[in-house]
Amino acid sequence: MDKKRIPVQEGLFIEADPGTGKSYLIGNKCKKCGLTAFPKTPVCPRCQIQDTMEETKFEGKGTLDSYSIVQAALPGFQQPSIQAYINLDNGPKMWSLVTGCEPTEGSLKLGMKMEMVIDKIRDDEEGNELISYQFKPAGK
Amino acid sequence: MRDVSIIGVGMTRFGKFEDRDMKDLGREAVWTALNDAGVGIKDIQVAYVANAVGQQLTELKGTIGQHVLTSAGIFGIPVINVENACTGGSTSLRGAYLEVASGNADVALAVGVEKLFCGDSAKSAQTMAAGTIYAKFGFMFVALYALQLKKWMAASGATKLHFAKVAAKNKYNGSLNPYAQFQKAMTVEQILESRVVAEPLTQFMCSTMADGAAAAIVCSSDIAKKISQKYPIQIAACELVSGTYNIPGEEHEEITTRAALKAYEKAGIGPEDVQVVEVHDAMSPAELRMYEELHLCKPGEAGMMIDEGHTTLTGRIPVNPSGGLAAKGHPISATGLAQVYEVVTQMRGEAGKRQVTNNPKVGLVENAGGWTMDDNAACAVTILKK
Ligand SMILES: [Zn+2]
Repeated sequence: MDKKRIPVQEGLFIEADPGTGKSYLIGNKCKKCGLTAFPKTPVCPRCQIQDTMEETKFEGKGTLDSYSIVQAALPGFQQPSIQAYINLDNGPKMWSLVTGCEPTEGSLKLGMKMEMVIDKIRDDEEGNELISYQFKPAGK
Repeated sequence: MRDVSIIGVGMTRFGKFEDRDMKDLGREAVWTALNDAGVGIKDIQVAYVANAVGQQLTELKGTIGQHVLTSAGIFGIPVINVENACTGGSTSLRGAYLEVASGNADVALAVGVEKLFCGDSAKSAQTMAAGTIYAKFGFMFVALYALQLKKWMAASGATKLHFAKVAAKNKYNGSLNPYAQFQKAMTVEQILESRVVAEPLTQFMCSTMADGAAAAIVCSSDIAKKISQKYPIQIAACELVSGTYNIPGEEHEEITTRAALKAYEKAGIGPEDVQVVEVHDAMSPAELRMYEELHLCKPGEAGMMIDEGHTTLTGRIPVNPSGGLAAKGHPISATGLAQVYEVVTQMRGEAGKRQVTNNPKVGLVENAGGWTMDDNAACAVTILKK
């Protein structure tokens, strides 16, 4: 039986958009004040009124805000893992796993450029691949 | 609003109790509190019962408060079930406090009970992480603590040695506490040399899973001396806040500071008056941040507070005399009321070997939990006085 690639959660990202060949994160943005959110939030937390948020796509480029190398993992996840906050370009600060580099203090630097990849984060109980957004050092 | 006092407290030892369920743990805590106050079941007019993950990890699938209290012999009264992550215990206390302060009841009970060991530690870990939207992506609270502490170290000048010192202080306090999960003192060196979990946090700086329960009985201050022989400890403030949206690049007041400032104002008591403190240190080094966020010292002075021993049992302002979460254990919803148990016990002078020596007249409990909007979901600060 073929393994399926299943998004951990629907509606969070677009993998390799057919038009551009690029992957995107799906968030939203306030028409009134410009606040951005990922994941989407229905009510702008700054304006605190309804119907100001509209969907927007983020290109998945950003900088490393902070990170931690964790010698522990939830069941099914790789250990050690790198867990980080990313400041998205033209977007909010968001949490993500980091991939594509050694889990050592030397391989990451605060403020370095990061880019999104859509990749497996773990296998599910049926052996399917659960995929999600992650970030890696840009250009790697 | 009427003045409200705590007249009875009780808790179980925290730890791994494979043969004890939540009803059993809750009953012990409730009856210990009843006996401590010297009141009977029939005196209790309303009860708030906190639990976080019982529905996921135990056979009880709802109305957990009624199940637990029925096993203690309490029924027929209003029972309010509370879920507020790690802040559940304090949220229960606030409910009981407001019932009495408002005049709706004269005597009220607050309980927190949790059972985390279910025979499947992977399931327990998953369930505890599920309080955040990021859990299914692999998010772990220990990583969050670690990266926040790294940032804070840069800002405050605190070092990993300070982290180990505060952990060693708390392990020592825990070694004197018969209710603590881990009753073993450790040196600064042992803590620094233990396994790195997430730099700068090592194994012995982190709290662990535990089962346990804690309870408090509150009553109107004007009848406290009539119905109980215990010296009443007054609730000067019991403030609860939720998190606020943390927008990058914009000013964001720490949730602990917001809760504390509200509590200081309500109580008419300032941080300079506080003499004994329990803080929510799921990782011991977080205690240092709390010194600053609760305004117990000035920004940048947290390291000095531990270096100069101000927060030890014999210090000017003892913090976490119970051992804190890393030594005492952290059964989510029981934690807040166990902190209250500790501060009440210290203020009465009944803490035995771990008794603080400054004869505290004012105590403070800080209890935070959950994660939303890049902020804690809840934080409660309670100020007690005698
Ligand atoms: Zn807005």
